[in-house]
Amino acid sequence: MPARGYEKGDQMKRRSRGLRLGVLASVVALVVAFAAGAGQSAPGGSTQAGVLVSGTTDAITNIDPAGNYDFGTFTLGANVFEHLYDARNGPKIVPSLATGCQPRGSTRVWRCNLRRGVKFHDGSDFDSADVKFSFDRVNNRQILRQAAANTPASLLSSLRSVTTNGRYAVTFNLKNAVSTWPYFLATGAAGIVPSDAYQGNRLQGNTQPQIGTGPFRLVRYTPGQQAVFERFDDYWGPNAKSEGLILRYYTRSSTMKLALERGEIDMAFQTFTPTELVDLGETRNVRVHQGQGAVIRYLVLNVEREPFDNINVRRAVAYLMPRQAIASRVYRGTVRPLFSMPPAGLPGHIDAFASRYGRTPNVAAARRELQAAGVTMPLAIDVWYTPTRYGAASADEYAEIKRSLERGGVFRVTLKTAEWAQYSSVLGNQYNAFQLGWFPDYADPENYVLSFYQDGNFTENGYSNPRMTRLLNQEQAATTLARRIAIIRQIQVLAAADVPIIPVWQGNMVAPARSNVRGIPSTLDAAFIMRYWKLSKS
Amino acid sequence: MAVPAQVESVPAGHKRFVGLRRAFAPIAEARGMARTMLWLGAAITLGFVLVALLAPVIAPYEFDQFRTSEGRFAQLEAPSRDHLMGTNVQSTDVLSRIIWGTQTELKVVLISLFFSISIGVPLGLLSGYFGGKLDRVLVLIMDALFVFPFLLLAIVIAFLLADKVGQGIFTAAIAITVVYVPLYFRVVRNHTISIREEPFVEAARALGAKPFTIVRKYVFFNVVQNVPPLATLNAADAILTLTALGFLGYGIQPSDGAEWGYDIQRAVSDAASGIWWTGIFPGLAIVLLVTGLTLLGEGLNETINPVLRKRPRGPVDFSEPVESE
Amino acid sequence: MAAKGTSLRQYLVTRLLLVIPMVLILLTLVFLLMRVAPGDPVSAALGGRVPQEELDRIRDELGFNRPILIQYVEYLGDVVRGDFGVATTDRRAISDIIVENGAATLELTFFAMVVAVVVGVTLGLLAGRFRDTWIDGGSRLFGIVIYAMPVFFLGLMAQLFFGSYLGWLPTSDRASPLVDATLETHTHLYTIDTLIAGDWDAFVDVVKHLILPAVTLGLVTAGVFIRLVRVNVIRTMKDDYIEAARARGIDERAVVYHHAFKNALVPVITVVGLTVALLLSGAILTETTFNWPGIGLTLFTYLGNRDYTAVQGIVILFALVVVFASLIIDFVNAYIDPRIRY
Repeated sequence: MPARGYEKGDQMKRRSRGLRLGVLASVVALVVAFAAGAGQSAPGGSTQAGVLVSGTTDAITNIDPAGNYDFGTFTLGANVFEHLYDARNGPKIVPSLATGCQPRGSTRVWRCNLRRGVKFHDGSDFDSADVKFSFDRVNNRQILRQAAANTPASLLSSLRSVTTNGRYAVTFNLKNAVSTWPYFLATGAAGIVPSDAYQGNRLQGNTQPQIGTGPFRLVRYTPGQQAVFERFDDYWGPNAKSEGLILRYYTRSSTMKLALERGEIDMAFQTFTPTELVDLGETRNVRVHQGQGAVIRYLVLNVEREPFDNINVRRAVAYLMPRQAIASRVYRGTVRPLFSMPPAGLPGHIDAFASRYGRTPNVAAARRELQAAGVTMPLAIDVWYTPTRYGAASADEYAEIKRSLERGGVFRVTLKTAEWAQYSSVLGNQYNAFQLGWFPDYADPENYVLSFYQDGNFTENGYSNPRMTRLLNQEQAATTLARRIAIIRQIQVLAAADVPIIPVWQGNMVAPARSNVRGIPSTLDAAFIMRYWKLSKS
Repeated sequence: MAVPAQVESVPAGHKRFVGLRRAFAPIAEARGMARTMLWLGAAITLGFVLVALLAPVIAPYEFDQFRTSEGRFAQLEAPSRDHLMGTNVQSTDVLSRIIWGTQTELKVVLISLFFSISIGVPLGLLSGYFGGKLDRVLVLIMDALFVFPFLLLAIVIAFLLADKVGQGIFTAAIAITVVYVPLYFRVVRNHTISIREEPFVEAARALGAKPFTIVRKYVFFNVVQNVPPLATLNAADAILTLTALGFLGYGIQPSDGAEWGYDIQRAVSDAASGIWWTGIFPGLAIVLLVTGLTLLGEGLNETINPVLRKRPRGPVDFSEPVESE
Repeated sequence: MAAKGTSLRQYLVTRLLLVIPMVLILLTLVFLLMRVAPGDPVSAALGGRVPQEELDRIRDELGFNRPILIQYVEYLGDVVRGDFGVATTDRRAISDIIVENGAATLELTFFAMVVAVVVGVTLGLLAGRFRDTWIDGGSRLFGIVIYAMPVFFLGLMAQLFFGSYLGWLPTSDRASPLVDATLETHTHLYTIDTLIAGDWDAFVDVVKHLILPAVTLGLVTAGVFIRLVRVNVIRTMKDDYIEAARARGIDERAVVYHHAFKNALVPVITVVGLTVALLLSGAILTETTFNWPGIGLTLFTYLGNRDYTAVQGIVILFALVVVFASLIIDFVNAYIDPRIRY
């Protein structure tokens, strides 16, 4: 195209000087551009040896730990900030900046001893004042205001106060008994920042220095483009395996895929479409690593309004959920059918829905339920999903669900959609059957039951069962793991009988990478943390 | 140079249609390239209209059909005898989605044309003919709408309506209407201002005709000549806007109908994975339909309303829609 | 001459004053649209995790539950004081967004405009000059088809062909990760920044990243130019003075090249200016296709988060740029052609 423009432009040059100059300048610019383009073409060699470059489609809110409650920012922050407990080597949390935390008397008071000799990126020492400071900040009124919609404060809603006990111990006083408190200490809200470099009433801006104790130092952040890290050589634990790390942000997975194929990035984490993953799996020099995941998707039913106030109708839906078709057809094997809210891989998980409703759709049983409900078939229902939050494949997932629910004329489904901001502002207040997803705040089954089955849960589906509430209270107060797990099993059985929510699938933790990236399998587990400091390039 | 002769004389005929006849006479007299463009454009457009009307007959399957009595369609199957353009990730037939999609696109464009013309043209007439405060306020509002990034405007309007009427055809059509009203307003108003001073309007005024009669009888038919080419070019543009909305995920959702822009959005990840048929066919459909409409519009522009012959004043021709993508 | 000066000044003042109500209308429009649209920044960020009462508490805290009129007046007050605020989502100052991401958009659109003008003006001039020949037909058809290409479709094809199949060009972002990581930004225009740094390799890298998005956007825009330039060439060729020049027996080619083309290009400058108004919308599509971190992509992201402050600020500041761009063009035109000042 430009070649043609050049030729024809040539004719005119003879006459009009101004025009000639303009055209000439443009042509030169183009020719230079193309020459430059043609001159260097080294796909695969554009990243440097010691620097690992990873792509993601996640977005960043406030990097300051007191200002984010989203997975993308947590993943960035995990390189920089550490917590008293961390899932350092697997799904199990272990003492990190603490050396241990014990309940004092009841699980309403927890005392933690802190690690000595830990340094922040600015060279200052870590001690109890930093811990108290970091926790107090999250609930500081001004910070709450600044963090606005991104505040992680709800994670610490049980916290009444933090007191220091000398330089290397702190006590957490809680409002109610929380047997899983160390898990909350491992969440993003509990990131430890130095009291002298941060302000108690101001969020640290994204382009201001971010200082933590983690294996990487954040040296540069360009909003929406990339975050650049350097290895922190004074790290108290084993040093990061790469000397540098760049996280690159994409808005579309398709451009990220091309970048990975071209070697502009070394790996990617979150989130390719199923089709892209299948194709990447067949791409030379690229390996798609998959491991235990913790993200789940589920269908919420409003138990207070017609027609799902009738338990038989809810059960009929549960009988027809086409989990296998969704996993294999829509997600091409990158997700697994989920038969209980806590995903497989977490302690206490049981396939409660499978044992009650079977693993595959059962039309005859669904018809029996609707007959018991006394409704005429096909029963017309609206099912809602959102195309702008959980990936475009949601459309395919819900097309599958519609097809299955309509088999044998049991239901007649009208699929409805709403854009996320609108969708999330109404949920169960307006919708009777709707899609939602969850990623864990902490890798414990409690996080998959408490939020969903307690009175006045966030889905607004109106579910309330005194027996369930009692079980949940017992679980929170339980002092031994074995006891908690036993209660969590009962909760799952009860939830499958009541069907306020139907689990659909659990996602694998997926990270496609160039074949020279080492260490990815070691970080793919139910903790759902990409531990970039364990990765390197050979 | 083959400049079509200007038609000044009013052809004999029923009085009520004098204006229309005068408006349409040049079509028959178009020649040269204008004629070629006109007829080529008309043929393509008519083709799509036929496809849309006959969709129930010619589409091999429903737009969301994924199985026949013989079983389920293969997923992402390359073009074959059963599926001339292959199947997509939902196992639906790409050709059928394009055919039903034609219906969607044309419906949206027709609804939005109807509303934007019936709002933009009268407002432009009134504003241009009566002038004064009303004119100034309207111009200001329309200019503000014009400066507003049009995709953003369409998206936000779609948000607003989605709450009430869902993410379907009507919502998309209204979102697009809001984008194009200022354009009709602008063109009609400017033209009205120039017509207002023409001798025949002056004469009518001198004879004591009421303002509304003048606007209706004299100004309207002169101004309305501008509308068909503009509307056709706008229809082309509206399709680009609609598909852009679909591509960004804020357009018509798959549960409400087949839409090309949405299909391309979904096909982006296929295309990068060597599955070309899900994206290229809807893409070509857009290009072909928009090309057809543009050819028709430009052909009309040159025959009915020869900008190339006379123009009130000013070097810039605002009746040319300058939107790109 | 003196008379001309006065009326020109008058014209300028009137036009400038008209900007104020226009901006006010825009402010009101964007404010209202964002508030009335269902969903808000709080639900967009925390919805689906946190109970509605908690969301409502945060809305209260942020003042979103107050009467819309009070919020509006407060917002107007801030804007008048020149305070566009910080984004709710990530607390970036709106002015930073405009400067940093605006520069990315400026760089992309400048080069796109170069492509559009080179291709569009060349083909338009030829089409106009050789009216009704195959050259005319070919150019116009090309212009129409390229205009009919959705920019995301053309962009996708270009990415697959040049980026994936041939492997020549990068398909996203403004620079490679390492260049991006080390580049010192003075102007936020990477081509200029790399030249200031004197880093030739980085410059080449930046230019390579520019090619696909700029050519894609440029080609699509070229369609408009072809049509416009052609029409204007034909129009000027029929103007009296051209006829006069012909009548005086001046060589036809001289007439065409010297007079017709030159005059036909004046309105093109105006249209280049007007196109600025459409850039933001166009940029949303080009930038999402190529992951170009410009203002369109940023706006799109903030819109999804219902970030009131960010969307309002970006739209208003961008509209101001557009309004002033068109003002400058009007002034230039008014200066050149007194007929416009009516």
